[in-house]
Amino acid sequence: MTADGEKIEERQSPEKPCEIPPDWKANIIAFACHYCAFAAADLAGVMRLSYLPNSKVIRLPCTGKLDHIYVLRAFERGIDGVFVAG
Amino acid sequence: MIVGEQKPLEEIWEMVKVHKQLTVFGCNTCVAVCHQGGNKEAGILASLLRMKATQEEVDIEIVDSGIERQCEHEFFESVRDLMNRSEAVLSLACGIGVQFVATKYQTLPVYPALNTTFLGDVIAVGHFTEKCQACGDCVLGLTGGVCPVSRCCKRLMNGPCGGSSNGKCEISKEIDCAWQLIVDRLEALGRLDDYEKIPPLKDWSKDRAGGPRSFKLEDM
Repeated sequence: MTADGEKIEERQSPEKPCEIPPDWKANIIAFACHYCAFAAADLAGVMRLSYLPNSKVIRLPCTGKLDHIYVLRAFERGIDGVFVAG
Repeated sequence: MIVGEQKPLEEIWEMVKVHKQLTVFGCNTCVAVCHQGGNKEAGILASLLRMKATQEEVDIEIVDSGIERQCEHEFFESVRDLMNRSEAVLSLACGIGVQFVATKYQTLPVYPALNTTFLGDVIAVGHFTEKCQACGDCVLGLTGGVCPVSRCCKRLMNGPCGGSSNGKCEISKEIDCAWQLIVDRLEALGRLDDYEKIPPLKDWSKDRAGGPRSFKLEDM
């Protein structure tokens, strides 16, 4: 509502609303730089640290290698979030 | 080079959504330099359209492809099969490429993904400015290499108008006064006396006034 009582309609999201199942978890893909973030993930593995199975790590030679199309293809194939670390 | 700007996704989608198959077709020369219509941008646009189709629940097969130039027959050899099985083409070329595809494939619907904007240069990364209007009778030799046809908002041929202020045009503070640039340049070249000389009349019949222009090499 504005000051003079005019009702403002909320902008519609282009995405269609859908039911979220209670056990749903976001599917995350991580693009990690070979020299830092991926090395950290590797170290985490060596230390036997566990992380959730709904995230997948992909090694890049450098995050500068990340291309628009990698991110778009990930979303096209049902990924919910993209994490870039480098 | 030819500079273009991609149309809004909604506008593109409205044009192409009636088809069952669509080839998103890049042109990897001029419009690739301005990051709007190259083969890479074709891949990105195809991906965005596929996601749009999923959202809208429209059944449409979208593939992306591209060639080096959509304005010459030779480059189409590599995509002959793809074109034959395409139901429609979304061309990311300039207006020339779109028309070339339309002429080459008489029964294939072709749509433009770009608004062709101007003939320009790259003054900095990602910054393109208009420098030529292809008027057909170049005067750059008289004007010290600064074009009054494309860079003066009024296309004046005989010096600045009253709207020139501090080297800028009255249209916008972002636009340089072309005649200020011409005078500065002639001064730098030690040719300021040339500014006083009355040049011959410009031949505007070589501009668009005579209809679409063409040029044919007799020895080829």
